[in-house]
Amino acid sequence: MMKIKSLLLSCALGTLLTGFASLQAADATAPAHDIYLCATISKNYVIGSKLVTNSGVYRRDAEGAFQHFGVNFPFVLNIAFDPRDRRRCYAVCINGVLQSTDGGVTWGIGNSWDMTEAKDVCIDPNLPDHVYLALPDGVAVTTDRGATWVRQEKGLPERGKYTQTIRVDRTKAGRVFAGCEAGIYLTENGAKSWCRVFPASQTVTDIQQSPHDPKLWYATTQAEGLQVSRDGGATWRKVAAIPTAEAIYNIAFDPTDARRAAISSWVYGVFTTEDGGQTWVERNVGLPADHTAFRVGIDPGNGRLFVSLYREAMLTSDDFGRSWRGVASLEGATVYNYVFVPKPAP
Amino acid sequence: MKTKFLSLAVLSAVVGFSAASLTAQPSFSGPMPSTKPVQRADLRRAAYFDRIDEVLTWRAGLAKPGDPLITDMGVIVAKLARREDAERCSRSVIALMKEPGSGPFWMFPTTCIAYLGRGQLTPEAQAAIRTAWRTTLQLRGDTENHWAMYYTSLYLMSELYPDEPPGAWYSGKSSAANLAEAREYLIHWMDLATTIGQGEFNPTHYIGEYAIPMLYLATWAKNPAMRVRGHMMLDWLLADHASTTLRGVLRGPNARTDDTSLVERWNALASFFSWIMFGNTPPTAAYGGWGIYFAAVAKDYELPEVIYRIATDRDADYVQRDLKRTRRRWRNSDVSMAPIYKTSYMRADYAVGSYQGGISDPIQAHVWDVTWAVADPRGVHNTMFSMHPISSAYDMQMYFTELPDQMIKGVAKEGKPSYDTPDKLLGSSRFEQVFQDLDTVIALYAIPPGTRFPHINGFISGDLVGLTQDGSGWIFARGGDTYLAYRPLAPHTMEPMMKYKSMWTGERTASTDQRLVSPHLNNGTIVQAASVSEFKDFAAFQTAIRALPLKVKLDPTPTVTFKTLRGKTVTCTYGAAPVVDGKKIDYAAWKLFQGPYLNAERDSRRLTITHGALERVLDFNTLTITDRVKP
Repeated sequence: MMKIKSLLLSCALGTLLTGFASLQAADATAPAHDIYLCATISKNYVIGSKLVTNSGVYRRDAEGAFQHFGVNFPFVLNIAFDPRDRRRCYAVCINGVLQSTDGGVTWGIGNSWDMTEAKDVCIDPNLPDHVYLALPDGVAVTTDRGATWVRQEKGLPERGKYTQTIRVDRTKAGRVFAGCEAGIYLTENGAKSWCRVFPASQTVTDIQQSPHDPKLWYATTQAEGLQVSRDGGATWRKVAAIPTAEAIYNIAFDPTDARRAAISSWVYGVFTTEDGGQTWVERNVGLPADHTAFRVGIDPGNGRLFVSLYREAMLTSDDFGRSWRGVASLEGATVYNYVFVPKPAP
Repeated sequence: MKTKFLSLAVLSAVVGFSAASLTAQPSFSGPMPSTKPVQRADLRRAAYFDRIDEVLTWRAGLAKPGDPLITDMGVIVAKLARREDAERCSRSVIALMKEPGSGPFWMFPTTCIAYLGRGQLTPEAQAAIRTAWRTTLQLRGDTENHWAMYYTSLYLMSELYPDEPPGAWYSGKSSAANLAEAREYLIHWMDLATTIGQGEFNPTHYIGEYAIPMLYLATWAKNPAMRVRGHMMLDWLLADHASTTLRGVLRGPNARTDDTSLVERWNALASFFSWIMFGNTPPTAAYGGWGIYFAAVAKDYELPEVIYRIATDRDADYVQRDLKRTRRRWRNSDVSMAPIYKTSYMRADYAVGSYQGGISDPIQAHVWDVTWAVADPRGVHNTMFSMHPISSAYDMQMYFTELPDQMIKGVAKEGKPSYDTPDKLLGSSRFEQVFQDLDTVIALYAIPPGTRFPHINGFISGDLVGLTQDGSGWIFARGGDTYLAYRPLAPHTMEPMMKYKSMWTGERTASTDQRLVSPHLNNGTIVQAASVSEFKDFAAFQTAIRALPLKVKLDPTPTVTFKTLRGKTVTCTYGAAPVVDGKKIDYAAWKLFQGPYLNAERDSRRLTITHGALERVLDFNTLTITDRVKP
C-alpha cells in the first residue's frame, strides 16, 4: 500500500487521482463496449473472515465509475458472456466455474468436486453452447451451456497440462488454444484431441488473437518471453525485444489501432508496441520501482491503456503508457482480467 | 499471492484472547499433568469429561454478562454445549449471520452451532443460519484441510436441510446434489489416506482441521456409513497422533507446522489434542483456539483404550515407519503426489523422526529432528535439526496455481513471515536428502549455485546444556535426559537467533537459541542421540562419539559413511539410495504403517492398532471396527 500512496502523492493529485467519471466525460461518444473487471480488493482477507470489501466482478457504469455487481467473492479470475444472451455468463474462481443465467444476480457452482481453481474460461463465438475451462490439471468443456462439464484432454501430457489460459479462434468453431505448463496446445475439433504447437519449459500465461488480423496471435510465457505467430498459431517465434529471464503475464491488443499492443510483467513492468510489434518500449515512468504489473488491458472504445498493480491499484493511461493516473475507487485492487463486451443493440 | 493460502486462523484465534482470560485456564497454567496411564476406564472417562468441561467453562465464561450479544462463535458453541443462555445465543446468531464469513473456517463453526442449537436456538436464529447458507457463496479453499472442513460442513448441512432445491443453497445445487458431491469427495479423501497415506501428515496445528470434521461426521451424520467413516477416520488420526507424540508432544517430521511450534514443540494445537484425549501434556493457550469446536462435541466420542495406551503406556523403544504423501502438485513435478517415507524412533527420553527429504508442502514442512522429553515442555525449545532455507517461486508454483512473482512477497504478509528470510528454520528443500537409522540422522545437501539462500541452517536450542564445540568437529550437548552429538560436515558459524513475537506482523525478539550457519553448497549434518542413562557421564558419551568411524566427502557429490552408535554402518550418497550394513534401503517396500502399534499394508484401507493384548482393526473396505483382546 505504501507504494501506491507514494505513487499517488508523487503525482499532481488534481490531475492524476481521478476517477473514471472524469475520464468518461472526456470521451466524445458513449462507449460501444461494457467494461468488466475481475478484481479482488483483499484488504487482508483470509479464508473464513468476513468479506469487508467487494471482490469479484466490477462493471463500468454510465458515469464511468466501476460498480461491483453480482456475488462478492474473492479471486474471480475471468468472466465470459454468452454472445447470444449476456444474462448467461461463466466466471472462473477458486471453486471452479460459477454460472449465472440472470446476468449475475444469482450464481451457482457448475463443476463437480474434482475440478478446482479454474484459471480461465472462453466461449466459442461460433458455437456458444461450447465453453472451455482452463484448469490446473487440464481442460474441461461443456457443450450444453454448463449443465455438464467434461474433461477433454486427449493429447495433453499427463504431466505438464497445467492450463493457465484458453482461447478460441474466432474464425473457426472448435479451434482452441490452451496455454499449458508444457507449451501451447491446439485443438481443431472442439477439444476432442490436442497437439502441441509450441513447447515451453514453464507455464504459458496468456494467448490472444489480434482483433485486426485473425492470423496474428501473441502468447506470453513465464520462461520463453513473448511469442508471436503470424500463421494462425501453427508456428511461433520469440519476440527478440522482450527479455525472457522473468515472466511475462499477459498481452492486450488495441482494437482501435492495429499497430498497438501492450504486455505486463511483474518485474519488467509494461512494454508497448505502436508499430505492429517491430519495436517494444518500456512504459514504466510513473509506475512503482518494482513495477508489480499484473495485467494490462486496452479499452476497445478509445484505446485507453489499463494496468493493474498487484494489490495496489489500477492505473490508466491516455497516451499509451507515457503517463499514468490512478483510479481512486480501485486502490488496493488486483485486476485479474479486463473483459470488454459489446453493448447489446438498443 | 492470494490470501486463500492462509488458513492459519489457529494462530489468530489464540492471539485474540487476552492475557487476563488465560488465568482462567487451569490446565494451561497449572502444574504438569501426570504422564502415567490411568488404568481404570471409568476414571479415564471421568477425567476426559473434566477436561472437556474445563474448555467449555472457560470459553463460555468469555461472554461478558452485560453484553446483549456474543460475537465469538466459539463462545456460542460453548454455551450451546452447556445448554445455557439460549436466548442470547439466538440473538447473537441472528446478528452474526447478517455478516457471514466465507469458507471452511466459517462453515464448520456454523455447522456446529446449527447442530448444537437444535432444540435450543429460536426458529429465527435457525432460519438466519439457513439463510446465510443460501446467500453467501462459500470458498472451498485449496488444501486438503480446507476441503475436509468444507465438505463435512456441506454434507451435514445438506442432511440437516434435505430435499431442498438448488435455489436454497449458495452452491446453486440441491440438497441431494450437495450431499452427493460432499460424500464423493470425503470418500475419495479417505481412500487416499487409507491407501497411499495422509497428505497433511502429522500437522502441528492442522490436526484440528481434520479431527473436528471427523468428529462431526461421527456424531451427526444421519447416514450410518458416513457416521462410521467419520468415527474410523478420527480413530485413525488419533492413533497416528498417539504413536507420534512424545509424552503428548508432537515432534517432526510434519507436513505443516509453523515458526513457533517448530522449536517450542509443545506449543501447537496438537498438544490440545494430546491433552484432551490422553491427558499427558498441558493444553496450549486458549485451548488451542479451535479446541472448543472439538470439545463441544467430544463427549460423544470415546477414545479406544488401545490408542490411549499407545500414547501413554510404552515400555520399549520402537521404530514406526509410515507412508504419507505430499500435497497435490499441479506442475513442476513428474508426479501429482510424491510418496513420503517417514521414520520415527521413539524412546522414553527422546524421539527421532524424519522423512527422506524433498518438498512435502511448499512453505511449512519440517523434515527431521531429534526432540527430547522434558519434565514440562512449556516454553522449552527441545529440538535439534538442520535445513536448507530455500525460497523459490518455482517450488511454490508446484503447489499453488499462481503466477510466479507475487507468491514470495505475499506469503510473508499472510502469517508465514519467515518464508523469504535467510535465517528461517521452517521449510523443506529439493536439495536436502535425509536418512535415519534409529537415533542417527544423516542429512545431505547439494545446493545448486545461484540458489537463493545458499546455506544450511542448524537449530541449536538455548535450552541445551553443556554445549561444546569439540575439536573433533562434533558439537556435543545435553537436552533433558538426552545426549546429543551434532556434526556439521562443512565449516560453519554460530549466529544469534530472533524468534517471532507475531506471525502476522513479523515482529521479532531476541532468543537464547543459536543458528548454525554453514554457507557451503555441498553440505551435510549428522546427528546422533543417546539416553543419558546409557553412559557413565557426558564425557563418556563424547568419547564414544569421537570413536565412531566417519568418512565424509562433499565434492563433487556429498557422501558419508558413518558407523552409528548402534553399530550400523550407514552410507549415504546424495542422489542415491542409502545403504545400511551393505544393504540398500528399498522404499518401494515401505508399508502404509509398520511398527509395534500401527500396521497397514499399502492400498489396504485397513489399519490394525495394537497395544499389548488390545487390538482394534479399522477396515474401510467393510466399514467395520473390530476390537479384540488377544489371548
